[in-house]
Amino acid sequence: MRRRALALLPLLLVLLLAANGVLRQRLADFVESFPTPRAAVPAGWPAPQYDFSGNPVTASGFELGRRLFHDPRLSLDGSISCASCHQQFAAFAHLDHRVSHGLHGANGTRNAPALFNLAWQPALMWDGAIHNLELQPLAPLANPVEMGETLEGVLVKLRADAGYRRRFEAAFGPGEIDSRRVLLALTQFIGTLRSADSRYDRGELSAREREGLALFRRHCATCHREPLFTDYSYRGNGLDADSADAGRGAISGKAAERGRFKVPSLRNVAVTAPYMHDGRFDTLSQVLRHYASGIRDSAALDPALRGGLALGPEQQQALVAFLETLTDEAFLQDARYAEPLP
Amino acid sequence: MSRLILPILALALGLAGCTRAPELDVEIDISHVVGSEPLRLDDAIYRNAAGEDFSVSRLRYYLSLPRLRRADGSWFAPLHPAESAEAYHLVDEARADSRRLRIAGVPAGEYTGVEFLVGVDEARNHAGAQTGALDPARGMFWTWKSGYIFLVLEGKSPQSPAPGGRFSYHLGGGEPSLARRVYLPFGERPVRVEERLRPTVHLAVDVGALLSAVNPVRIAQLPEAMDPVSARPLADNAAAMFRVDHLHHEPRRRGGG
Repeated sequence: MRRRALALLPLLLVLLLAANGVLRQRLADFVESFPTPRAAVPAGWPAPQYDFSGNPVTASGFELGRRLFHDPRLSLDGSISCASCHQQFAAFAHLDHRVSHGLHGANGTRNAPALFNLAWQPALMWDGAIHNLELQPLAPLANPVEMGETLEGVLVKLRADAGYRRRFEAAFGPGEIDSRRVLLALTQFIGTLRSADSRYDRGELSAREREGLALFRRHCATCHREPLFTDYSYRGNGLDADSADAGRGAISGKAAERGRFKVPSLRNVAVTAPYMHDGRFDTLSQVLRHYASGIRDSAALDPALRGGLALGPEQQQALVAFLETLTDEAFLQDARYAEPLP
Repeated sequence: MSRLILPILALALGLAGCTRAPELDVEIDISHVVGSEPLRLDDAIYRNAAGEDFSVSRLRYYLSLPRLRRADGSWFAPLHPAESAEAYHLVDEARADSRRLRIAGVPAGEYTGVEFLVGVDEARNHAGAQTGALDPARGMFWTWKSGYIFLVLEGKSPQSPAPGGRFSYHLGGGEPSLARRVYLPFGERPVRVEERLRPTVHLAVDVGALLSAVNPVRIAQLPEAMDPVSARPLADNAAAMFRVDHLHHEPRRRGGG
């Protein structure tokens, strides 16, 4: 008898809360007090590019974005979510996939990039085609070889779902689910995927890793600039004499930029294999061998890479040892970013 | 105390609204034509300046940031909240209501012309998620490369080498931008905005001119223009496809209308 009464307690509590506006507000405040990732800037980092003041991060907005990110119903046939190709354990890249497969097994043309510290990117994608983080989700959503869905289609599905209607109202107040709310919620999630807690950040490097860091600063840091480990420029890194993918050239329309791609961040690089815009290298050792002895000349090639980097096998290994210190285990295992309970 | 201020303010504004003179406006009505014929989607066949037959299945474009020129050369531009998309209008031949737009809050006086941007200005073209006419769900936003499609013209032509004899022109982006400012003088008679009269400006927008006004386009040579480089000749034509057909002044009904 007593047990049964106890089981009813949560129901009673919910009824009480629903009946009382003040208590409901308290509950909302309590939910908001959960440790939601916020748009904070780590010490020593530049100001982010994305301005959260027009889209303040809230617990309900972040949770909604997280749910949308993991929901395959956002794709045309309900088979592919954002998380299908952006896996948390791979720093939200796609492990073991040179390119990813979307709807009906169709293949994309570029390696799914890792997702973190996106608020700092002046433009998104390998070629910088997307100007604003809020609009980034439209690209994979609409791409016929990715999720193949339209915004209209997504809105129809979300509006028909009572759970989503409730979550959207909790995040953005009364009103219909519209494209802006969907994009703002997703931005609250993808924009607060922050990785800044690697061993490198904590200064816990061994002598060999320190040696790698010194080599890194001499040979790599011009493009992979600390602390974000990229300068967000578009460069040719000598992969092909004639690139099959126009890269930045397709966006800028400049012939000299054919085959140039955005310098990716090297944070978490040890867990985001395979590498390069087309995922052609499986290991960091292969990547470093490429920079040391595999550079091919072309109009797009960055002058700093002409002739390759002067790195012997020993030095390449020291560099790999350093790059492994950029893995942020806390980020990879942060439960706040994981797939939410149904 | 502070909780009282908002309701009082709202009440005060509401009362002020009641006693204010009715808001004046200018209506713009758009008819699409091909040369001297009215445009009919899909089934009507037209001939362009290059002698090619074509039909039109889709015609959509943005008319943005309208402003009216006063007789003394100064301008009236409606003020809108920064976030709103009220100054952006999406014209779609397939939606009759979209071919009518209203410039609201116009002060009484005489106006000699109207100006639009055909397209979307740089600031809004590169802004984040937007609403209204600029809602990306309207299908006028490129997803793979950020930016609005300023104008869409799609149709069929036996001269097109593309599959199904289709042709598709999507104008947008560009450095400098393919958006074009268009000024349309009203002619000898100005538009009179006053409490008694409601003016309507009828525009004729010529798809024939879109294909030939400045840079004649051959569908056989250009079945598709989806990037700013190949669409640039069409942008110059788009700026020349508008003309004021006639003006109307009708008695304004009481209560705004």
